[in-house]
Amino acid sequence: MDSFFYLVMFAGAVAGASTGLLGVYIVGMRMPFIGTCISHAAMAGIIFASLLGIENPIWGAVAASVITSMSLAAIRPEKSRLDTNVGLAILFSLMLGLTFLGMGLVQDSRSEVLGLLWGSILFVRQRTAVIITVMALTLAAFTIVFNKEMKVLLFSRSIAAATGVHESFVYCLFLALCGLTLSVNLKMIGGLMIFSLITNPAAAAYQICRGHKSVVLTATLLGMLSTVIGFLISFYSKKLPTGACVVIVSSAIFAIAAIYRHIAGKED
Amino acid sequence: MSSRLSLSNVKIKRSGRTILHIDNLQIPPGTFAGIIGTNGAGKTTLLKVCCGLIKPNQGSVEFDDTNLAVLGPWKRANLRKRIGYIPQAAEYNSELPFTLREVVAMGRISVRALLSPLRRQDYEYVDHWIDKLGLTNRRNQTFRSLSGGEQQKVLIARAMVQNPAILMLDEPGSNLDFNWKYQITDIIDDLYQQTNITILMVSHETNLLPRSCGRIVLLHQGKILADGPAEEVFASDALEIAYQCPVETVEVAGRKYTAIKSKV
Repeated sequence: MDSFFYLVMFAGAVAGASTGLLGVYIVGMRMPFIGTCISHAAMAGIIFASLLGIENPIWGAVAASVITSMSLAAIRPEKSRLDTNVGLAILFSLMLGLTFLGMGLVQDSRSEVLGLLWGSILFVRQRTAVIITVMALTLAAFTIVFNKEMKVLLFSRSIAAATGVHESFVYCLFLALCGLTLSVNLKMIGGLMIFSLITNPAAAAYQICRGHKSVVLTATLLGMLSTVIGFLISFYSKKLPTGACVVIVSSAIFAIAAIYRHIAGKED
Repeated sequence: MSSRLSLSNVKIKRSGRTILHIDNLQIPPGTFAGIIGTNGAGKTTLLKVCCGLIKPNQGSVEFDDTNLAVLGPWKRANLRKRIGYIPQAAEYNSELPFTLREVVAMGRISVRALLSPLRRQDYEYVDHWIDKLGLTNRRNQTFRSLSGGEQQKVLIARAMVQNPAILMLDEPGSNLDFNWKYQITDIIDDLYQQTNITILMVSHETNLLPRSCGRIVLLHQGKILADGPAEEVFASDALEIAYQCPVETVEVAGRKYTAIKSKV
């Protein structure tokens, strides 16, 4: 085993853990579409940053995803008569349009741009691993520090708002972290695939767990398992795209959780 | 301690149309007011204005002499820590595997500062209210596994652990069978008798307003059509104007039932 293998496994585990943890809140708030929307914003950001000749195009991804997240935070369903999911769909279509517009404008290295859609472990560098680890630790710290506020936001934003929780502030912070986490993991997991890594481990945890802490730990662990197993398959096959392997593994994990709940007749 | 609420010349507009226009509404400390009216009369909107969830286009909403309508979001949130709010079922996610105790503990969240975790004293208070509402045996069960009536009890406990100065309830008996409706009504009645907290309660069904609800605010097309002691409002012809049909109110075992007047 060379050091690249360990680096890939480590990066994969951290990416899986952080997206699994994000998923607890995204799935719980019933807006799984946010993953696709923000990751497409990040893709559009990378492509346009490349077109503009920015040295490190990841900054384009970070900027685009954070701007998109903040736009989502600005949608107040009670004021705009716009459901958050409808707002997401509109933003998603715009980001998709921008992504394909950018892809049309890219003359060289189109395959690298397409690689953003599917993800590849070949993108993993030591620097990538450091960045995603710092981001994952920041996300973990946020969920610990704002644990009580995030719980009530999950349960009901109306109750949170009506009873004096600073819900807009916490929600904005969360969405910003969402944008940052997704953009730093984008190249490795892939813009199309990251969606299921957010949704599947968390949905599986919601199937089998009781209590918020148990959901958080299980989703983080299942996210980690999805990426590690998916990466192992991708690594040894040498030709299967990372993102696809991760998605299939995470879907299988969800199926197992759902079947387990059904067979065990798990009572709450 | 109970709180005072005062609304003056409040207007809420949507798409250029005024959907709520309250000239004057005074709720002194310790009042139990029932808000009734037809569908679309503005009951829920009024409740959301009172707790600062909807900012009026015009007018003032004073909560203990502080105008909620002119405060910034941060200060408004700080003031709302003293409001216990129980929304309609559609406004909370009952599918998450939160335990009953976790949901009740959410009531202590706004009591603690932003970065401060809940402490042992908070959980003692949480357990006190769980016991008080007869939910002790179910404290570790998930909220989603409870019946609608039990969930409503949990939400009442969640609001009470906040130690609120005012309690606002939006149709707490909706979607419940009649046994549970009356159990919830009796719990609210007991809470009022024991704490004398200010209560605003929206209800479609007049018989679900607890006996201690001494004041009725009748809304019609976004305006207050009648406001006064329950007996007076139910005896007036305001209900017939609001519901646009002949109605009568009969009292059975202390509960006031309003229905279409019998032709027989």
